[in-house]
Amino acid sequence: MLNLLYTLLFIATCLIIGYVINHIFGGLPASLYGMMAFTLMLHFRLCDATRVKTSIAWGIKNMGVCFVPAGVGIINHFQLIKTHGLMLVAITFIGTLLVLTFVGLLFQRLENKANSLD
Amino acid sequence: MISLSILTDIFIYNGITLTVYQGFAWLQNKTGKIWLNPMLLCIFVLIFMITFLEIDYQQYRQSTNILRNLLEPAVVALGFPLYQHLNSMKSQWKQIVYFLTITISILLSMSYVLTMILINSPSIAVSLSFKSITTPVGIALTEQLNGNSAITAFAIILAGLFGAIFGIKWLTFIKVTSPKAQGLAIGTASHALGTATISQLSFQHAAYSSLALIISATITAIISPSLVHQLNSWFF
Repeated sequence: MLNLLYTLLFIATCLIIGYVINHIFGGLPASLYGMMAFTLMLHFRLCDATRVKTSIAWGIKNMGVCFVPAGVGIINHFQLIKTHGLMLVAITFIGTLLVLTFVGLLFQRLENKANSLD
Repeated sequence: MISLSILTDIFIYNGITLTVYQGFAWLQNKTGKIWLNPMLLCIFVLIFMITFLEIDYQQYRQSTNILRNLLEPAVVALGFPLYQHLNSMKSQWKQIVYFLTITISILLSMSYVLTMILINSPSIAVSLSFKSITTPVGIALTEQLNGNSAITAFAIILAGLFGAIFGIKWLTFIKVTSPKAQGLAIGTASHALGTATISQLSFQHAAYSSLALIISATITAIISPSLVHQLNSWFF
């Protein structure tokens, strides 16, 4: 229980730091700055990794549920699909597949190459 | 004062979302089938319910604000796997940034050109260029470059879902099997939604996917204004 509170305290602190950075510099969203702040806090031992480990593992395992309302938001865009046909869906699908393929193959090759040099 | 009916709505809609999600999570655990993804199946079931039971979507959206607000702390939590792999990433990050910059520039241009050829609308081409990055950055860039932010929002969710459903299967099929390459590919293509899905596989997946999420959003924000301007000048 104490470890959970400890984790929540650090997550909240990092998110606030994220908001401050986002407010001053703009650019990336507050949550991404917060993610970097959390990584650095753990790295510089400001936050004890062993105490947050269990709660974080549980949180990451269940974080999918937070995306459900946003995903259901597709319902708002049915009109868009009707207007532009399935072309939008097709381009998005092809584009995503291309990114997956390019990036995946590239880094798999680089890794295979590095492994064969070892 | 929050009225009783609003409280009831909050209780019911979040309750349904959590129950359906946990139901599928239990089913996936029990059967061990990857395709029984609780997030995606839950989204489908809820869309089905909202459409056929004629529930007001805005009402659902407002009532589930709590869940949506939890997204931000959840993304912050991804800093943990990132920290765990920080040492091994230190020696590779220059290489990762370098190659991701090149691939993102090429793929963003390809998406833009493809959209211009098929639909011939610069505002849609701009919107679809930002389908792979995280929503707040994607929407901000779309507005800056005169795109249509509703289309961007739609394409971002769709790209996330595609990566989450087919990502790992497709990557395994084309023999991309290392957690590092899989993580980087899904983080670049399907932002936080894809990252959330593959983070359940291993912390190494989570770490590289989170890294790609940050790097691709940053690179896209830096290069896209001039790149889109350049691409626009080709067509007009």
